[in-house]
Amino acid sequence: MNEAVVGSFKERLAREARISGLRDFSTPSLEAVERRRFQLWAVALVLLVALTGATVMITIWRDFPVAQSWTTPPAFRIGMLLLALGFCAYVLEKELAFRRLTAMLIDERVLTAALSNRLKELSTLLVVGQAVNSVLGIEDVLQIILSSAIELLGGSEGSIMLLQETGYLQAVCVMGNESAKGAKVKLGHGIAGRVALTGEPLLLSGRADPEMFPDQVDRSQPVNSSVCVPLFNRGDLLGVLNVSAGADRVFTEYDLRAMTLFAEHGAISIANARLFEAEVERVAELEEVSRLKSQFVATVSHELRTPLTSILGSVITMRNLDLDKRESEEFLQTIERQGRRLLRLVEELLTAAQLEREGAVRQYPELIDLSVLVAEVVRDFEGGPTVDVVGPRSCQVVGDGEILRRVLTNLVDNAMKHGEPPVQILMESSAEEVTVRIRDHGPGVPVADRERIFERFTRLDQTGNRPGIGLGLPIVRELLAACDGRVWVDEAPGGGAEFGLALPMRLPERVRR
Amino acid sequence: MSSSRAKILVIDDDPDVLLLLRYTLEAEGFHPSLAGEGETALRRIEGEHPDLVLLDVMMPVMDGWAVLDGISGLSRPPRVIVVSAKSGEIDRVRAIKLGASEYVTKPFDPEALVKLVRAVLERSPAEQDRRRSEQLASLRA
Repeated sequence: MNEAVVGSFKERLAREARISGLRDFSTPSLEAVERRRFQLWAVALVLLVALTGATVMITIWRDFPVAQSWTTPPAFRIGMLLLALGFCAYVLEKELAFRRLTAMLIDERVLTAALSNRLKELSTLLVVGQAVNSVLGIEDVLQIILSSAIELLGGSEGSIMLLQETGYLQAVCVMGNESAKGAKVKLGHGIAGRVALTGEPLLLSGRADPEMFPDQVDRSQPVNSSVCVPLFNRGDLLGVLNVSAGADRVFTEYDLRAMTLFAEHGAISIANARLFEAEVERVAELEEVSRLKSQFVATVSHELRTPLTSILGSVITMRNLDLDKRESEEFLQTIERQGRRLLRLVEELLTAAQLEREGAVRQYPELIDLSVLVAEVVRDFEGGPTVDVVGPRSCQVVGDGEILRRVLTNLVDNAMKHGEPPVQILMESSAEEVTVRIRDHGPGVPVADRERIFERFTRLDQTGNRPGIGLGLPIVRELLAACDGRVWVDEAPGGGAEFGLALPMRLPERVRR
Repeated sequence: MSSSRAKILVIDDDPDVLLLLRYTLEAEGFHPSLAGEGETALRRIEGEHPDLVLLDVMMPVMDGWAVLDGISGLSRPPRVIVVSAKSGEIDRVRAIKLGASEYVTKPFDPEALVKLVRAVLERSPAEQDRRRSEQLASLRA
């Protein structure tokens, strides 16, 4: 309502009050009008009774001296009658003014009530806005929205159900009916499901008909009236807001309108809180990536320095000292061994980069003898702890020789670095698959970490005293997955770790080159 | 003391580094003893009282930091040169704080390392303390 309308209303009110003789009342009340009306009719009644009484008396006692003197001349009688009629007209006009005034005052009361309701609604929205801005966590935002909605409508309980990725609505914030927390409702089912599906707010008086709204949420207290509105942000449905009342309150169309307006603000707050949470998560991820990057650079630099120490040191020593053939051979072996170690590291880095870039590696399947391959891999580790191989003399499989060599090398390397000798390799083959188990006698892998160790950059040794860059086992898993194989870790009999790998037994006909 | 007769203990989990340091030190007239892991090394330090220890940091089970910690509790602690692939400033400070005389980063030049071994052995206790506080001050700056 604008000021001009309010102003003209006030003027009309004052005019009617003036006509009604209520000049003293700058803001006439209904009670004052009633009082003045009572006075008016009381005076009118007294005068009419007196006039009627006098007329009757004069008619009955014509000889009464006073009557005779009063009723002559006739003009006086006519005057009396006119006076009475004039007074009646005056009273009627006043009564009409009173009626208009009463109507206007009633209108004013209704408008004031509507205004104060609107003010209450606006102040609740303001409070919600401030409260929502003061917190950022989605849980707190939901709590504030729900408690404010219940307060705004004078309800007894309520809930906010949010649309989950699975297409269900889930009660994530509940007040007054705590048992309903976490309850799930399919779209189109129950009151909330209906509101979410149609996008139309719903006002229910009395108990909801179970046939009309199947799958309703169980309640401890009966609900007499409820309002359920959708939460939309930029046209996207986020969920629904539901407020219910007990026996002493029945919601109206007005409550539904207020709630719909409130829900618009609530939905924006929920969307903002979600954005903020996503941002916080992203920042945490980036920080973790940055931390891993620094750690990775430090680890790689350490892993490069260690073999380089032996290689460069050996070369300088061989040049400076007069070594005999046996001594020279020792240093040459060192150079070869540490050179291979460097090569493995470089290959590991390249494979990891390729797997990350392309998601898979190019495969060249061929018929290979796994027994021969295992023997070759073991030979590459000569000079270190011994590796015992138990298995068939020959084991033909179809696979990519380079990938399998990589996988076996990484697993043996892992057993050498993190386990204790002796390292054993056990091979078995059946009609369906070939399995290779690599056992060590080290501390083993705790059950809780048996999946985690196949994730990139996972180092179980937090001190960083064990060699490795945290890529060996993840590469094994990714390479094997590319060949339809799998890898796992168990406890070796008698303690230690047992890494197992399985490859499907493919028929040679299917080899494509 | 004649530095060539000094007793040196080399501690490193990599056999190739042990081999390299043994040859380098023997060529200079030292007779180093070798240890492949921290716990044995600490026992040998207590029993043999070496004059100098060349110590690797990253070793499984008992790392170089724990060995340094153990050495600092001894009545006659040997002088220590830490030889590590860890190249961070933080590691250098940690080593000097824990009582090491010098910190050498891998890969090292064998000749330069031998020179450093001689220099550390020939320092007087007073000079030793002065050098360590100087190193700490320069690292913090």
